[in-house]
Amino acid sequence: MTLTRFAALNLFRNPLRTALTVAGVAVAVVAFLLLRTVIWSYNVAADSAVPDRLVTRHKVTFIMPLPKRYIDDVRATPGVKDATWANWWGGREPNKPTEFFATLAVDPESYFRVIDEMVVEPADLQAWKEDRQGAIVGDMLAQKFGWKKGDTVRLESQFFDGLYEFRISGIYTATRRTVDRMTFLFHWAYLNEKAPVEARETIGWIMSRTNGKPTEIGRTVDAMFDVKDVQTISQDEATFNRSFLAGFSAILSAINVVSIVILLIMMMILGNTVAMGVRERTAEYGVLRAIGFLPKHIVTLVVGEAAVLGVGGGVAGLLVAYPVVQLGIGRFVEENLAGFFPYFRISPENAVAGFVLALVLAALASVIPAWQAGRLSVVDSLRRVA
Amino acid sequence: MIPISYNVRSLVVRRATTAAAVLGIALVVFVLASSLMLAAGVKDTLSRGGGRDAALVLRKGVDNELSSTVDQAKVGLILSAPGVRKGADGRPLGTGDVSMIIMLEPVATPGGASNVQVRGVDAEVERFRPEVKVVEGRMFKAGADEAIVGRAISGRFVSLQLGGTIEPKKNRPLKIVGVFDAAGSSYESEVWADVDTVKSAFGREGMVSAVRVKLESAAAFDAFKAHVESDKALGLEAWTEEQWAEKQSQYLSIFMTALGFIISFFFSIGAMIGAMITMYASVIGRQREIGTLRALGFPRRQILFSFMMESLLVSLAGGVFGSIAAMGLTFVKFSTLNFATFSELVFTFKATPDVFVVAFIFSLGMGLLGGMLPAIRAARMSPVQAMRN
Repeated sequence: MTLTRFAALNLFRNPLRTALTVAGVAVAVVAFLLLRTVIWSYNVAADSAVPDRLVTRHKVTFIMPLPKRYIDDVRATPGVKDATWANWWGGREPNKPTEFFATLAVDPESYFRVIDEMVVEPADLQAWKEDRQGAIVGDMLAQKFGWKKGDTVRLESQFFDGLYEFRISGIYTATRRTVDRMTFLFHWAYLNEKAPVEARETIGWIMSRTNGKPTEIGRTVDAMFDVKDVQTISQDEATFNRSFLAGFSAILSAINVVSIVILLIMMMILGNTVAMGVRERTAEYGVLRAIGFLPKHIVTLVVGEAAVLGVGGGVAGLLVAYPVVQLGIGRFVEENLAGFFPYFRISPENAVAGFVLALVLAALASVIPAWQAGRLSVVDSLRRVA
Repeated sequence: MIPISYNVRSLVVRRATTAAAVLGIALVVFVLASSLMLAAGVKDTLSRGGGRDAALVLRKGVDNELSSTVDQAKVGLILSAPGVRKGADGRPLGTGDVSMIIMLEPVATPGGASNVQVRGVDAEVERFRPEVKVVEGRMFKAGADEAIVGRAISGRFVSLQLGGTIEPKKNRPLKIVGVFDAAGSSYESEVWADVDTVKSAFGREGMVSAVRVKLESAAAFDAFKAHVESDKALGLEAWTEEQWAEKQSQYLSIFMTALGFIISFFFSIGAMIGAMITMYASVIGRQREIGTLRALGFPRRQILFSFMMESLLVSLAGGVFGSIAAMGLTFVKFSTLNFATFSELVFTFKATPDVFVVAFIFSLGMGLLGGMLPAIRAARMSPVQAMRN
């Protein structure tokens, strides 16, 4: 009988305990993956920003609009290749007021040129440009509300009176998975003619494509508007996205802490199991030592057993978490919380991290019991009764 | 019946494993209780603004004050509606607020940005909101470019403290001249300035965001609401402060509660498995004792009951320690963006009886579930077999 075989058999000596321990580790890995995925998904939108894209907004707050003429000034700025704008319309379907989705009034000519990760069929895009009341909607949004090309949709806005009538000109899809596919886009001109006088000729924010130096160009843009009546702040898209994370930093750091705590709990469960096993088998270790095995063999035996439990739990955890997130809650979250989590999936990094941490922490948890087992003298361990 | 002291002593003998099990359960209870306390804190902070005899009128269909605009011309109409209480001076007790937000850099996350609510209020603050007290510095002067900052949010953002400035418009800084206390309400997470100052600095002339009134009694609300909403063309909607607070807090508090329960659910499985492993080990280790008890004539259900009792004792101890630890958080402030208002809200962990009832039930549930299988195992042991080992 080899030492490896001996270690393997040890695992099955108390199958119930082994099963419970593996289950405990698996639960911890599932929880860890879920929490890490929340954080990862929240950050991923910021991290996958287009590097040459610049966002310009009102200096005080993003809810205050910019004058429409600013778009021409931005377009004329050296280094700006293309620019477009959008207004937040705060729309909703009157019969389903609690279903949230983004509604933006945009410039049909330039929007999809600047936001090129959203793709529309060329024919549909052309049709949209020609229909003042046309709208382009995300494929997930269309699916959720059962909208098809040609449908008439009536929406109301939180900010403006009355119902607005739209015709769906087409559906956009995304070239990247992190793009929000739940947005409703319509003609800014339509909003501009229906909105009250004081809200006309204003735009929400400007997005531009630059020749690759968004930060420098942003400074030029801000300096240009600094002497005008409305000041702006321009940031590259990643910085812009990330600045929004600050508001939730307290919640995110709490989740972060909790994801570590759950691993510590897992270590406690494992460490306890290993320690119990070691206590019960002290006499056996004495025998092993007596027939010539060295303390390092005993230590390897104990740590190895823990590592196998960790690997088992890690694999079991991944096997549970993957289908649950990828096929179940991921889609639910993407549909209902697209604003926060456009792409809610377990990333490979997180999966690897969960597995490796389960393995490493399991080995770590067994260090103290292993050290104690290795340190016992042969006589002592033989004398000891479990 | 097997005396409970037997269980207590058994637990004391196995101190180390008992402590590990108690710690595990305490951790779960701590996490659950603290997230419930956060949810309670959000509700409490947002509902201190006014009770059932106070109402506010907003644009119909809005989700927050920020999106609401009410024509200045309609304010007088609202104040003259039936049910509005009159002040000592004979004028109706009501005021039009202008709500705006300003993006500032949080001290805790340099380079980031979050929204702070700026409220333009009538310069006679004490007339409508007698609970507001300036605790440092002084009150802003009517019409001056001055502001006061709520004490919960003071110092949490760059230059948002006494002597600092905020700049809603270029070359028009509002100097912060005071810090105010508003009886723990969400107003303490806001910056206040004269309503006319805010209107002109943010370009909101001719309109207010919300009109707030004090009612003669809670019962007067229905008549008030009916009157305000009767003219559909005005497009107004009336809420009691209580209903409005509920609406403003629901997303954040539901989010906190849901997050707390999900995390606690996973934690509790972990803790129960840990407790089960040790309970099984202790049942095996006590075979002889169990056999003896059976031989003395204690029936199976008594053994079952006794082991369940032991598990409940462990979970109860865990619940108590976890709750005590959570109580320690009462003094900690938590600050985050409220999804409903788009602005930063500072609140504390609020210990309410409900929180601890839930935590207590949760811990007993863990004890019951975790102890069940080992206890059944103990009860099913045959006395002869058990004694022979």
